[in-house]
Amino acid sequence: MSSEPVPSDPAGSPLLSMSGIVKDFPGVRALDGVDLEVRAGEVHCLLGQNGAGKSTLIKVLSGAHTPDTGEIRWQGRPVTLSTPTAAINQGIATIYQELDLVDGLSVAENIYLGHEVAPGGITRRRAQNAAAGEVLGRLGHTDISPTREVGTLSSARKQIVSMARALSRQARLIVMDEPSAVLAQDEVENLFRVIRELTGQGVAVVYISHRLEEIRAIGDRLTVLKDGRTVATDLPAASTSTSEVVSLMTGRSIEYVFPPRPPKPTTSRPTLLTVDHLSLDDVVRDVSFTVAEGQIVGIAGLVGSGRSELLETLYGARRRTAGAVTFDGRVLPRGRVTSSVRRGMGLAPEERKSQALLLEESVLRNVSLSSLPHFSRFGWMSRRKERHDVTAGLASLQVRPSDPGRPARTLSGGNQQKVVLARWLLGDTRLLLLDEPTRGVDVGARTELYKLIRQIADDGVGVVVVSSDVPEVLGLADHVLVMRDGTAIHQGPADELDETRVLDMILEGTAA
Amino acid sequence: MTQPPDQRTDARSQTVPTDEQARVEAAAARTGAGIAALRDHPALAPVLRNLGLLVVLALLCVVGTSTSPNFLTVDNFRNILVSSSVIGVVTVGMTFVIIGGGIDLSVGALVALSSVWASTVASQSHGAAVMILCAVLVGTGAGIVNGVLIAYGRLVPFIATLAMMVSARGLAAKMADNKTQIVTVQQINDIALKEYAGIPLLAIIFGAVVLAGWLVLNRTTFGRRTFALGGSSEATRLAGININVHTVLLYALSGACCGIAAVMLLARTTTGSSTHGELYELDAIAAVIIGGTLLTGGRGTLVGSILGVFVFTTITNIFILNNLATSVQNITKGVIIVAAVLVQTRATSRHVST
Amino acid sequence: MAALMDNLGRRRLLTGAGAAGATAFLAACTSNAESSAPAAGGQTTAVATDNAPGKPITIGFSAPEADHGWIGAITSNAKSQAGKYSEVTLDAVEGTNDVNQQISQVETLIDKKVDAIVLLPFDGKALTETGLKAQLAGIPVVNLDRVFADPRAARTWIGGDNYGMGAAAGTYIADQMKSKGISEPVIAEIQGIANLPLTQERSQGFADALGEAGFKVTNQVSAEFTVESGQQVTADLLQAAPHIDALWNHDDDQGVGVMAAINQAGRDEFIMVGGAGSSNMMKLIKSDNSVIKATVTYPPSMASSAINLARLIANGRGMSDLVEPDVPASITLSSATVTKANVDQYLPLAFPS
Repeated sequence: MSSEPVPSDPAGSPLLSMSGIVKDFPGVRALDGVDLEVRAGEVHCLLGQNGAGKSTLIKVLSGAHTPDTGEIRWQGRPVTLSTPTAAINQGIATIYQELDLVDGLSVAENIYLGHEVAPGGITRRRAQNAAAGEVLGRLGHTDISPTREVGTLSSARKQIVSMARALSRQARLIVMDEPSAVLAQDEVENLFRVIRELTGQGVAVVYISHRLEEIRAIGDRLTVLKDGRTVATDLPAASTSTSEVVSLMTGRSIEYVFPPRPPKPTTSRPTLLTVDHLSLDDVVRDVSFTVAEGQIVGIAGLVGSGRSELLETLYGARRRTAGAVTFDGRVLPRGRVTSSVRRGMGLAPEERKSQALLLEESVLRNVSLSSLPHFSRFGWMSRRKERHDVTAGLASLQVRPSDPGRPARTLSGGNQQKVVLARWLLGDTRLLLLDEPTRGVDVGARTELYKLIRQIADDGVGVVVVSSDVPEVLGLADHVLVMRDGTAIHQGPADELDETRVLDMILEGTAA
Repeated sequence: MTQPPDQRTDARSQTVPTDEQARVEAAAARTGAGIAALRDHPALAPVLRNLGLLVVLALLCVVGTSTSPNFLTVDNFRNILVSSSVIGVVTVGMTFVIIGGGIDLSVGALVALSSVWASTVASQSHGAAVMILCAVLVGTGAGIVNGVLIAYGRLVPFIATLAMMVSARGLAAKMADNKTQIVTVQQINDIALKEYAGIPLLAIIFGAVVLAGWLVLNRTTFGRRTFALGGSSEATRLAGININVHTVLLYALSGACCGIAAVMLLARTTTGSSTHGELYELDAIAAVIIGGTLLTGGRGTLVGSILGVFVFTTITNIFILNNLATSVQNITKGVIIVAAVLVQTRATSRHVST
Repeated sequence: MAALMDNLGRRRLLTGAGAAGATAFLAACTSNAESSAPAAGGQTTAVATDNAPGKPITIGFSAPEADHGWIGAITSNAKSQAGKYSEVTLDAVEGTNDVNQQISQVETLIDKKVDAIVLLPFDGKALTETGLKAQLAGIPVVNLDRVFADPRAARTWIGGDNYGMGAAAGTYIADQMKSKGISEPVIAEIQGIANLPLTQERSQGFADALGEAGFKVTNQVSAEFTVESGQQVTADLLQAAPHIDALWNHDDDQGVGVMAAINQAGRDEFIMVGGAGSSNMMKLIKSDNSVIKATVTYPPSMASSAINLARLIANGRGMSDLVEPDVPASITLSSATVTKANVDQYLPLAFPS
């Protein structure tokens, strides 16, 4: 492919072709030979499980990452997208889930941010507003006033503004990362209308979504990624069956060894936690389940399905809007982390570095943070007892290096996660809530972490694991909840499920 | 869910270092984290962290001794100690607040308000004990108001304490009717006159507050939680610590320090006045910052802050001993603040790069 | 504090009860009843013939914020003097140290078309334009103390003599040194805010008067007109100069702090002269049991005189003891040296700090 001569007529060749893209990160090969071809005026859908390489591929396209090897051809010519600016100048725009708009500026100012209508450095507000109105008109949104402050717009309309910004920069290719995640049903239909406007004008769209029904409605062609490689491409988006897509996405080559489940059914043990019709606004709706002592409950679902919010709500970090959480026979007050912790709950949050650890502090102080009263009398610390207990805790979790004086930031992801686990095990924690426990943890260290989690459960601690990695949930948990759009669409023993069925539920929204 | 691993998995595991930690260590070694590791050593860290300030202080002593015959005398050191004592006590409270991730702009105004409230005719009529109690209660109470506004009212500390700064000084001026209130209670004035074993009582109070502050910061759960709160309030909250209550306590502590400082100032000036404690907030923040405490919170030492106070007081002392103008003195102070913070941020950025 | 952390329930109860008690206690400490004695001094006895009632007039008044004794006395003197004339209404705007705000306040007075304005500007140069504007609008301006940059901005100026004040202090100290037979005295000076023109004038006068006697200032420090700064710099000054023969402190407001530092250092080998003439200092001079032996006045009674001048000008009158039919363009008050001998005469004019 790379030996092809530059065609004389670029219109006949694909707008973008990527071949053999490889990107290594320390310890992880994120992309391992991706091929992607996008034609002008088409909606090209990208599918793949968590960790398949979609995000890295987008970052390569947007110029945020430079690939180690491989070739990118744009309009027939090889290009290097070394910076985000370079990508934008080529005509490749990316619309992220967290929209990068400035709330305090007007719609027009946002659309022209960085390339203002300002001959000689003097802003021409009226001309700029008119131009912005024209771009919005091309998207069929004359109803958005160019002078309106962006902060007052809904997410759906902000998305339109982002697209208008891309258009105003003469973008030929717009990458959309799960654009429907923040939208309501009728807003999605409007989004599709806008996308059709764009493709009608020859703009290509790379559309990333987990929702197969959306892909069928808007997509032209489909590419599936797995393990950082393209496993299938040029599939017709409308007619490829769900079972074919799921089979392409599953069966990943990296398999972790999961510790064996205890032979006895764990349901006979006393119930520790009862979640009863729990709701959090529209994010979590009417979820009920129980956790027994020594049981691992796994929650599978996509980003935005409400799984993390469910965990945080039952922990008390968010105020539930309906339902009840009963822990150890007593109903927990709403939105009070302190009382959850006092009764023996512990959370290892998703964003380990910002939500769990004090990176500059020593491992010792990180571990003892939640159980300071154990080491103090009238507030006075017994530092010897603290050091003794923490050292013992670190040793039992095999944290390396075992020196408790090191700052937490010098530890690897896996060891940092162990530090968080050690924190809760030091107290009398009886229910551990783990949100994406293996995020940022190396392949090799994962197996060890799984073993550790099972050991903790075997000691009688109840565990709830949230993960977007379906095999992880199935391999680790005894009992599985599948979340979609804030509700638990399925519950059942893990050994009655397989990856294909769970993916099917997550993607199609049909309870099995 | 167990499938036979294919060959490619094996091939990959060879290219990736098997021990995750070893990889992190290797990366750290490349970016020169050896020095950082030395800096993190528990025994050496406190000395190294304050080394810069100790050097500055030593240099100042050399300059002082060589330019003025009156510098290197017991009396002068006693004078420096006493001069540092009032702002030093305020700085102890400020150190707690800043390590906890906040800022307290109201300290100077709280010193003024406490001094005025404690020296009204009515307060003075009850004697020294009531005056002291009054000053400390007023400071603590105003600190609690700060804390409640920040923790429960969700105001930014800068705004809440700025409002307190303006209104507390206003209240002080109104209460004193813009007059200077002379302290006639001799026991209060005696605080500035008494000495024990040649050490002025004011310096003893200062030392006691510093010692108590050091113990609370380094040996109690309260201190631990203060560091944690400043390091990451979200992580601290999710670790099950009531950060709202802790925030209120932090500002109450700062207010209490202002109350104690107000009593010391009452004795030292023999007056209560709404003009007391002017710009204390800036002096205290400057001392804390050059003492090596991060303005963003989470890291810092009380010893560094106190050394910072001594540096500023010694500069003032040397300038007056040499009959030099205030303007030059202020330039010098500014240069020292910038230099200290530059050194600090460079050290931190090296940390982050590891 | 840390002990309290562990016992949440109990602490809440305790602080609840404690807070109620503390509130009542603190409320009892706010009373300042005894100190609200009537402002002393400030009533210059106007010449009898000028006192005849004229037409009803409104005098606008603007001064900096009354944040220390002297300015406080200026404002209260102006108010009480105006109160003596039944036909005079005083429109006094809130004092401010913000030049911008003072300008707009005076502009409001101009818009109100008052009959005269008495103006003590926070900064004379900054208020000059505003003074001119009033004058052009036909409203006579009496410039109090801090001088405008342009003489046309005021109908008349009345104020103290900063240079003369320094000279008076210098002359007094020089005489004392000579009578004590000290040939090379250590003379210290504690300034107010160093960069103000008035401070520089005072120091110049002091240095000139000492110079005539062959003496000079050996140690000079500057405070900030506040008690605390007075105490702070004096403590360091006394350290720098183990022996002092004479000390002049520019300002009696900061003088309270200066005296505190002197007492705390246990020093009494020198004589001290104050500045401005507060009642505190005059009482100390009268009792003659401390280092302070004299103070040179900078009387806030000038505000009372300024009201009288504004009234005369608004009525088109002159000063009856002068030959001229109108008020002079400038009046400089002399700075008197108050000692134990004449203190009783000046005590009624003294201001509370």
